Amino acid sequence: MARTEKAISKTSVNPRSVPKKKTKIKKGYAGWLFASPWIIGLLLFYALPVVSSLYFSFTTYSILQPGDFIGFKNYSDLIHDHLFWKSIGNTVYFAVIFVPLSIIFGVALAMMLNMRVKGMSIYRTVFFLPTLVPQVALAVLWMWLLNPGFGLVNGMLDKIGISGPAWLGSETWSKPSLIFMSLWGIGQAVVIYLAGLGDISNEYYEAAEVDGANWFQRTFYITLPLLTPVIFYNLVMGVIGAFQQFTLPYTLTQGSGKPNNSLTFYVSYLYDNGFKYFKMGYASAMAWILFIIIMILTLLIFWSSKRWVHYQGK
Amino acid sequence: MRQSMKRIQLFLLATLIVLAFALVGCSNGASSSKKGVTTITFWNNATGTGKDALDAVIKQFNKTHSKIQVKSTYVASNESSDDKLLTAVTGGNPPDISLFDRFKVASWANQGSLTDLSEYAKKDGITKDKYYPFAWDESSYNGKLYAIPISTDARLLYYNKDEFKKAGLDPNKPPTTIDELEADADKLTIKKGSRFQQLGFAPWLGQGWLYTWGWAFGGDFYNKDTDKVTLDNPQVVKALQWEQDWAKTHNVEDITGFQDSAGSDAQDPFLTGQISMQVNVTGTVEQIKKFKPDLNYGVAPIPTPTGKDFTTWSGGFSLIIPKGAKHPKQAWEFLKYLGSPEGQKLYCGTSKGDLSVIDSVNQDLFKDDPIMMQFVDLLKTSHNRPSISQGQLLWNELDSAVDKAIHGKGDPKSLLEKANKKVNDALAKDKAN
Repeated sequence: MARTEKAISKTSVNPRSVPKKKTKIKKGYAGWLFASPWIIGLLLFYALPVVSSLYFSFTTYSILQPGDFIGFKNYSDLIHDHLFWKSIGNTVYFAVIFVPLSIIFGVALAMMLNMRVKGMSIYRTVFFLPTLVPQVALAVLWMWLLNPGFGLVNGMLDKIGISGPAWLGSETWSKPSLIFMSLWGIGQAVVIYLAGLGDISNEYYEAAEVDGANWFQRTFYITLPLLTPVIFYNLVMGVIGAFQQFTLPYTLTQGSGKPNNSLTFYVSYLYDNGFKYFKMGYASAMAWILFIIIMILTLLIFWSSKRWVHYQGK
Repeated sequence: MRQSMKRIQLFLLATLIVLAFALVGCSNGASSSKKGVTTITFWNNATGTGKDALDAVIKQFNKTHSKIQVKSTYVASNESSDDKLLTAVTGGNPPDISLFDRFKVASWANQGSLTDLSEYAKKDGITKDKYYPFAWDESSYNGKLYAIPISTDARLLYYNKDEFKKAGLDPNKPPTTIDELEADADKLTIKKGSRFQQLGFAPWLGQGWLYTWGWAFGGDFYNKDTDKVTLDNPQVVKALQWEQDWAKTHNVEDITGFQDSAGSDAQDPFLTGQISMQVNVTGTVEQIKKFKPDLNYGVAPIPTPTGKDFTTWSGGFSLIIPKGAKHPKQAWEFLKYLGSPEGQKLYCGTSKGDLSVIDSVNQDLFKDDPIMMQFVDLLKTSHNRPSISQGQLLWNELDSAVDKAIHGKGDPKSLLEKANKKVNDALAKDKAN
């Protein structure tokens, strides 16, 4: 390192003594060397698996056996796979309902937690705490809360005279239950919204107040438009996360997706194929289809963002 | 110029050192021969009394075999997947021995990742008649032996004698026919609104898989001669039809609610008295001893339509030698030992809850235990899940067919025909490869 610095200072003092090109190589050389653990790791453990999974998706690879090249057979088989479509249906259902709800609740919560009230840091902590609970623990906890017989939720519903559904045991209610659970872990997004709210310059509000705008107008004409960059970020991350939903439903049903496959999510089915049925080629094909779906959705959101995302100072 | 050459050399040297360390790290345990002693690695997921039992066997083996030393390592796995062993076999650096659920033997053997033990067994005179037939069948695939069975279990109907008395039933006369089972269950059920205070029975709870009822109804799931599954077997269809009818008449949603409320271990609904009768596995005996020793219960054969020809099915563990193991010969010695009457006696005598795969050992160990003897009595005719490459798919398809049938999503016959086709198609594909 010291030598490189010397070389640089030499160049600046006497440009002719060391050719400029060589310095550049030398400088880059040290950089590459220091970055090499990361580069090697990235290529070996990230790029290589990604590329090979594309190849495997055209084979009958089973992890234990290399398998044969079968062209697009895995993809055409998937089209005729009933459970594949069911898993897509479940995943889309979850994403379509969960992501908007998480934005609405997240923004609302953030706005409440942004008020100037005594002990606000305590409230903020309370809402953030659930995100620290591991997904598996979250699943077990909610299995008890939503327990049809002795659960707290049905117990409370009972008190006000409603006999609650079987929640996770009912085909109609299993996915809504999952959405409730996921909404509980919304704290991460709320923190980002809070940062976004803090970023909005007070001048806008002062000006609006002078103009006589009420709370409603301030929220919908100042807060929300200026929060759109953050909402945009959370929307993209939320969609990606929702399509990769795995731990919660898999833990809740011990991988069975019961009742009636209503909790068989896309990645759960992918995992079963890869690691339980030894159909890694088939699973790789599923992974690439998922990648394409997420890619298209993300591109769509980016494309639409020009119409609804407003940046401050523009 | 020279300086940069030197640097490249230095860089290469550093890389080599790192690689060398990595390679040494990968081949651990392979080169630990001290005066001709071979150390063999043994992966298992045993805990509690199961670990005590394995430790006892390993200790005894190491004492009697001066040239071979077994080293046990805990590695997590479960009935349907074994990611770490999978990675180790793929990476060409597996342990010498692994504890292995027999359920997985066929699918792993089909993938060519288990060592064929037929020759070893032949040389040492180890034959099918030494073990229960089901244990041997589940350890074999396509006529070759891939595992040595070491433990087993069976399923019986557990019933709560106190609740029988309270309901006015004879606690020494558990139901023997399906009709009696249903009549007793209704007498034992106490329901308030949609909630069960006490559930008499439900076919699919506990170990009430379709395997349990299909065999109890006299059906079969697999034809050895054609090497095809037979889920459309009329008796299997009948069993599922019976489950569907039960679900309809007893309101499945309420039972599902009850099922989801069920805890495990000490909170198991049979232990807490919330369910009066349930099909369960041998291990429940130990569970009751541990968490609720004063529970007044009995066990009985699983009822059949005729009240005769009682049967059950068994799973259990085995030992395998993964493909690519460094010391298969020495590993075989340990497999042989744990599978011998001597090893079995030590193992099952220490672990308790486990039944041996050798009949004489069970007769000896459990002769004074009337409950365990009920299990032992049925083992000679017990079934095993078909030893086919698609065992896991078959399991999931059966499970899903029951789930659909009891929730009224299709009639049993067409559900089973569909599942049958799916599994047989997958089997045909495996054969073509």
